[in-house]
Amino acid sequence: MSEADLILYIVVGTALAFDFTNGFHDTANVVATSISTRAMSPRLAVTYAAILNFAGAFISLEVAATVAKDVVVADAITPTVVFAGLVGAITWNLITWYFGLPSSSSHALIGGVVGAAFVAIGSEAVLSDGIIGKVLAPALIAPILAFVVGGIAIVVCYRVVGRQRPGSVTRGFRSGQVISGGLLALAHGTNDAQKTMGIIALALIASGELGAGSDPPLWVIVSAATAIALGTYTGGWRIIRTMGTRIIKMDAAQGFSAQGAGSAVILASTHFGYPLSTTHVISGAVMGAGAGKRVSAVRWGVAGNMVTAWLLTLPAAGAIGAAAYGLTHLFGDGAVGPVLITAAGLVAVGMAFARRMRAGALAASAG
Amino acid sequence: MEFATIIDTKALLETCLAALVAGVGVAFTFSLAILGTTQSAVASREGRPTAAAAFAALAVVGMAATIAAIVFGIVVMTS
Repeated sequence: MSEADLILYIVVGTALAFDFTNGFHDTANVVATSISTRAMSPRLAVTYAAILNFAGAFISLEVAATVAKDVVVADAITPTVVFAGLVGAITWNLITWYFGLPSSSSHALIGGVVGAAFVAIGSEAVLSDGIIGKVLAPALIAPILAFVVGGIAIVVCYRVVGRQRPGSVTRGFRSGQVISGGLLALAHGTNDAQKTMGIIALALIASGELGAGSDPPLWVIVSAATAIALGTYTGGWRIIRTMGTRIIKMDAAQGFSAQGAGSAVILASTHFGYPLSTTHVISGAVMGAGAGKRVSAVRWGVAGNMVTAWLLTLPAAGAIGAAAYGLTHLFGDGAVGPVLITAAGLVAVGMAFARRMRAGALAASAG
Repeated sequence: MEFATIIDTKALLETCLAALVAGVGVAFTFSLAILGTTQSAVASREGRPTAAAAFAALAVVGMAATIAAIVFGIVVMTS
């Protein structure tokens, strides 16, 4: 195996790991509403979401095309740049997870790749028009749009069924959430899995394995779909254990409206190739459905945290991606840098996991 | 370079319009289906067969419109 092949394998493995963590992290967003309104049991909701995330990855390639063609000049960068971008995204995700910021994995991924490309090649490798037109503008509009659609949808629902017996209405909307929850999982799978497909396609183009402008091959689509579905399924069990304390209570009509609004915004945006933050869209829709019933019910502090995370993610992930490229480059252009950084990352994650397990065991023995 | 040439405003507006129509439209048609089902049961219990049939028809139309909107959306996505 050549050094170039080794770097490519590391990049593909890192991208799929990123996809897995994306599914793991976002399970809460996708299934929380269905579980909190008791539309579905936790086990069923998580399994259903995992299957539909997998299916969603196959219905469009527009977002993958945007990530592969409209963010950086694909045939000017190297697989090491893509690797450094992924390191920037994963590191920023871990930092925001630690501090509890509702950060976007998608923005982190794009920021990381842009930062690494900027340091490696220069500003000519960064497609600023594509970033403004296809990433920043939709990123700003989508959560607000989801808020508005979710708010109007719940007002419409209450106007139509407001005078009916609450029991029948709740049962009806719970049934509807089987459809709206499924659509949301499908929408999440199609937008988020495609970002990984785009990144792998970018690495394949950079290494000469794929022609510039080509769509991702089938094995990329299948592996990205599998990684996000496995992540969704695995992440769900953690949510099931903590759902009693972390999920906001809402009625079934609000759950249906929020899921419908989130799905509509994500699917419409995916059709035009916009790589959105699904976390921000779903949060916006939930807040809209909450505000439609009672404005004071909305936790506006969460909205403030989202704005902070939104402003910080692209530059911060970009800076970390740039630093990761610089660090990798210290070891030359071969596979040594990526191998060492991957090994260091695995050791760090292993130590953090062991520390967490030890803390959990101590808490259990104290309890 | 002008901002308007960088941002495809037509595509963004279409996205907003599609999301608004789909999100609110599906909420409306599904609410009609629930209204029809609930009122059909009430009318049936109260011995009003014509009203029960009319509300049942409303439920069927609401549900059919909901399913049609979802199928249409997915077909547009995959085409």
